Amino acid sequence: MVKTRTWIVLISALLLLSLGLTLWLWLHPTGGRTANIYVDGELVRSVDLAAVEGEETFTVDTGRGLNVITVSEGRLRVSGADCPDKVCVNSGWLSGSAPIVCLPHRLVIKFADSSGGPDAVAG
Amino acid sequence: MRRAAALCALLCLALTACSPAPAKQSSTIFAMDTVMELQLYGDGAVLAESTRLITELEKELSATDPEGGVYAFNHTGTELGKSAAELFLRAMDISRLTGGAMDITVYPVVLAWGFTTGQYRVPGDEEIAALLEKVGYTKASGFDLPQGAMIDLGAVAKGYTSDLIADLWRQRGISSGLMNLGGNVYALGKKPDGSPWLVGVRDPFSDTFLGTVEAEDVAVVTSGAYERYFERDGVIYHHIIDPKTGRPAKSGLASVTVIGPDGTLCDGLSTAFFVLGLDRAAEIWKSCEADGASPDFDVLFVTDGGEIYITEGLEGSFSPTNDYDTGDVRVIRRG
Repeated sequence: MVKTRTWIVLISALLLLSLGLTLWLWLHPTGGRTANIYVDGELVRSVDLAAVEGEETFTVDTGRGLNVITVSEGRLRVSGADCPDKVCVNSGWLSGSAPIVCLPHRLVIKFADSSGGPDAVAG
Repeated sequence: MRRAAALCALLCLALTACSPAPAKQSSTIFAMDTVMELQLYGDGAVLAESTRLITELEKELSATDPEGGVYAFNHTGTELGKSAAELFLRAMDISRLTGGAMDITVYPVVLAWGFTTGQYRVPGDEEIAALLEKVGYTKASGFDLPQGAMIDLGAVAKGYTSDLIADLWRQRGISSGLMNLGGNVYALGKKPDGSPWLVGVRDPFSDTFLGTVEAEDVAVVTSGAYERYFERDGVIYHHIIDPKTGRPAKSGLASVTVIGPDGTLCDGLSTAFFVLGLDRAAEIWKSCEADGASPDFDVLFVTDGGEIYITEGLEGSFSPTNDYDTGDVRVIRRG
């Protein structure tokens, strides 16, 4: 009898805990998304945007040229590049609809998790 | 104990009830001056085969690569390759359907504007008039063009490529796949979970998408002024040249998306409809009766004012995002 009650308490506690955790995670979305950086289709770096305090800048050597990446306030953009067209720099901050692409350097940056969005975007 | 065993067995059953779905394979290819994303469920070797096909087509269809097939055709009169010749004839059909609003012979004018090199300039009236004398699909006799005329298959090349890849995938027994060839999307079959692919349509006024269409065995192709443009003295010049005027098309549309099973047709029509504008494009759509014999496609127009028009086949398949109200979407009907 005692044993059953122990189990009930234990399982209830576990249930409450997980419920609470779910609720907390739901109400406090990190907004934190991971941006993946690919060169020639290969993943070269993953950046957890929420984990970056203040502003952080780093350079990706693509083998075809350099791209300077800036992460700030949970956002990411290419802030400099030695490619001829600068399309990547002019793309601005990474958004959910289209990756940032530097064709001359074969660099693609996109969010790791695109769930909830469409499977592809035409345009 | 027996109950626990039964529970365990039930759990095992639940975990193994579904036969394993084919693994997702994906690859990124840089070709045709854009980035291409392919994903399919099945044999990864098919992706490698697709990449080879794209590389071959890129070479055969290129007008800018001095070693390209179309470049050789334009400059030395070399015969077009098999695929380029087939696409040439398909493009001529689309020109006839649209009264020349999409015309592969507009290339000399596009060159003058610098859209192929990125060295942009605004050609003068006389220069454009002189170049337009060589432009016009009706001036071609078979594959013979007037002296000084040149073609560019760029307006249909990606759509055609998506058709050939989809054919390859079907031949190899792939029943689920998705490709995005620099904004030209083709959805093969359904997703592995049995639901249709969801393809976003880019919002021409922002960097997000304005809504989604459900896609199954169709291409979804968008043409918009935002894709490539330059600014000179405060004026924006975009890359879709009206073959009649030799200047960037001004038809009141911000983008046109064409959806249908024929990727080549969708690609060519999206360009032509952008040039023609809403009313004339809608007339062509209406003239193509949904009788199985006429070309089969639907269209989503976005006007410069931000209004959305869809042809009736997209009712129920198109859902606007929260930025747009369903009430703002107007439906064009044949009846």
